[in-house]
Amino acid sequence: MILGFASVVGIVAVYTLLAHACGRPDLLPPLTTLVATLRSLVSGQVVAPPGGHVHPSNQIAYLLAGDVTLQGALLASTTRVLFGVGVGGALGVLAGLAMGWNRTVDEYLHPIYVLVRSIPPLALVTYVMLWFGHGEAHRLIPVAYAVFTTVVIPTYHGVRDVSDVYVRAARSLGASRRSLFTRVVLPAASPFVLSGLRYALIIAWMTTVGVEMLMGEDGIGHLIVAGGLWSSRVEIGVDPAVVIVGVLGLATVGFAMDVAARTLADSLTFWTRERRS
Amino acid sequence: MSGRSRTVSRGAVALIVLALAYGIVAEAGGPILPRRIWVGAHYIEDVELIPRYASLSEEAVFLVRSGILQGGITVSGLRVLGGFLLGALVGVTLGGTMAWATRFGYLLEPWVVLFRFTPALALLPLYVLWFGLGEASKILLIATGVAIVTLHGAFEGVRGIPRVYLDSAASLGAPRHAVLRGIVLPAALPHVLSSFRIAGALAWVTIVVAELIKPTMPSLGYLLALSGAYPRIPTLVVALATIGVLVLISDALAVAAYQRATGWMRRRNG
Amino acid sequence: MGKLRLRIQNLGYSYTGRRPTRALDGVALDVFDNEFLALVGPVGCGKTTFIRIVAGLLAPTQGTVVWDGVPIRTPSPERGYVFQEDAVFPWMTVRDNLEFGLLAKRLDTAARATVTRALVRLIGLEGYETAYPRELSAGMSKMVEVARVLATDPSILLLDEPFASLDAQTRARLQGELATLWEQRRKTVLLVTHDVEEAIHLADRIIVFSSRPGRVKAEVAVDLPRPRTLELRLSPAFSAIKRAVWAELGLTGGPAP
Repeated sequence: MILGFASVVGIVAVYTLLAHACGRPDLLPPLTTLVATLRSLVSGQVVAPPGGHVHPSNQIAYLLAGDVTLQGALLASTTRVLFGVGVGGALGVLAGLAMGWNRTVDEYLHPIYVLVRSIPPLALVTYVMLWFGHGEAHRLIPVAYAVFTTVVIPTYHGVRDVSDVYVRAARSLGASRRSLFTRVVLPAASPFVLSGLRYALIIAWMTTVGVEMLMGEDGIGHLIVAGGLWSSRVEIGVDPAVVIVGVLGLATVGFAMDVAARTLADSLTFWTRERRS
Repeated sequence: MSGRSRTVSRGAVALIVLALAYGIVAEAGGPILPRRIWVGAHYIEDVELIPRYASLSEEAVFLVRSGILQGGITVSGLRVLGGFLLGALVGVTLGGTMAWATRFGYLLEPWVVLFRFTPALALLPLYVLWFGLGEASKILLIATGVAIVTLHGAFEGVRGIPRVYLDSAASLGAPRHAVLRGIVLPAALPHVLSSFRIAGALAWVTIVVAELIKPTMPSLGYLLALSGAYPRIPTLVVALATIGVLVLISDALAVAAYQRATGWMRRRNG
Repeated sequence: MGKLRLRIQNLGYSYTGRRPTRALDGVALDVFDNEFLALVGPVGCGKTTFIRIVAGLLAPTQGTVVWDGVPIRTPSPERGYVFQEDAVFPWMTVRDNLEFGLLAKRLDTAARATVTRALVRLIGLEGYETAYPRELSAGMSKMVEVARVLATDPSILLLDEPFASLDAQTRARLQGELATLWEQRRKTVLLVTHDVEEAIHLADRIIVFSSRPGRVKAEVAVDLPRPRTLELRLSPAFSAIKRAVWAELGLTGGPAP
């Protein structure tokens, strides 16, 4: 804990020294510029950094002119992530349950699943756009797709590898096939499903940010590249302060979501906790 | 044994049905689906939303004859490989050291925890700024993504080594390097290799975006983006399929390495 | 009685952390050369803590442990430790497991092969040299572990409930094999167990620990003839000692009338 705190302070100090030694605020902006950028992006009004370095790319002004704020961008991305986890997660869990529970379904669907999974979600963005036009759909579909392919496998293993002991015990107690599934297999598989969903959260964030960088009109990926990879902004140089603030914001929200997900998962599967010694 | 052959034949049936269904949908869809579509700013004429096999094979032949496809596979494949090797080296070394030298681990832990949830893709603009528009940015971006995943694999792998193996090696008088080689490496290897599998998939996702940094031609990522922008859907589908096959191959390699390295583990029945 | 090898004085150990626990308190014990000493006690009496300290895997928080006049600080192949858990390395073949300690001693290939061959014969695993532990039964695997420890020729064997996870029949068989092994190659042995029959079958002397914090509560001498067979367990002399130990553990009212 103390070491952790020291490490945060240490990295900040090292960064400050490095930025100072480098002497190029357009590459490594000093801490004061980062703070000013954060304040600008949160308040929606330009806060000039002390010392007055304004990055030549004018990214902050561009963003603020479009009413972009850090919290707004994070909210937009979070919504996409949640949508993707909700829809893609539900479909993935269903597919995983079906394949794990029924051998015939597994034998027919597994090769198709492997084929589908092999296509990187971000590669789909343009194709989906041709179908659905330049709207929200082509941003949400790749995210949901990415979550779907991620969640299937842990669910599948969770169901298929439920210890035979439980299944046999339930059978010998006279459980019907239906109650075997709902009362034994589902609860036993749930820790796997939940940990799969937690991992899917990381994948969902990655896809969301990627999609927003490619084609976004809002969201944190859009904030970071301000206008998309296709515009010339990346080539003339982005404002590193905006990117660093954006990445730190992203890291914070991602971390917070994982903590929330872990807490939820722990309380749902309380019976997996270790026995008290 | 018969169960196995049934699995294979059912899988083959499913794939054949899928291929046939695609062919039928493509042929039937031709007349029904719009050939003129609106993309944001303007209309595009003569689009085949679901390309027929004929168009696909024609396009594939063109892409191969012109060398675009092979060139793209080589260039993108090498970038993925380079980024993967670099990232895995850094990730495994850092992760292993963090788990082995606990104090060093505590020092880095807050940063690792924080950045575990940050997609490496978000660093793209910074990398362009710092490392320029050339190969370095692309490879380092892939390496970063791979390093984050493999770092966790190595960390969990080393932390998860049962205490009794380390105690036992110590009381047999093994010096530190023998413990490292004889216990830590083999015991952590399964975890590390399964993280390689995830990292490999991630590397292929990253390349699609990384190759949009000052794109140049031969490159699968740019081929994909270009064919989507014009759009030339047969090219797009061929590019997607090529990336898909490469992902399958690298995944199969990762699985094979995993199985080779874990032959000593107890096998699950059934 | 042989020469004094291990002297433990006023030994104490406390676990720190969220729930601090006093595991051992004021333990004093002498172990002599070529003596087979067993330590029994109720669950959680600090037996394992005790033997881990002797092995050098834990540092005592109080008191001293002296081996041949030198305080014990770190683990050493001089004190071979057989663990409660399955400690055979699953990624190594039987031979590689047996040779692990010899490699650390920097023995050459020929010398290692000689030792390994003798040990494989001793535990009756000829033909299994290149097998992986997953191909062995739990009992065979345990014997590989015992042999691996014997390979480095330690001056004392520390056995921490070595057969606890085995089924009753395998356990009885391995106890018999261990007794034979010990009678062939005399060594100083410290055995920690909660199995009273195991202690009586194998040991010259039994130390009974009290429940937490662990203290030496009583000492029972085992004056049974050797070689000891499984038959011996059915004899009245065996039962009498068992009754005495049980009484010290608080399992029966007291000694027989």
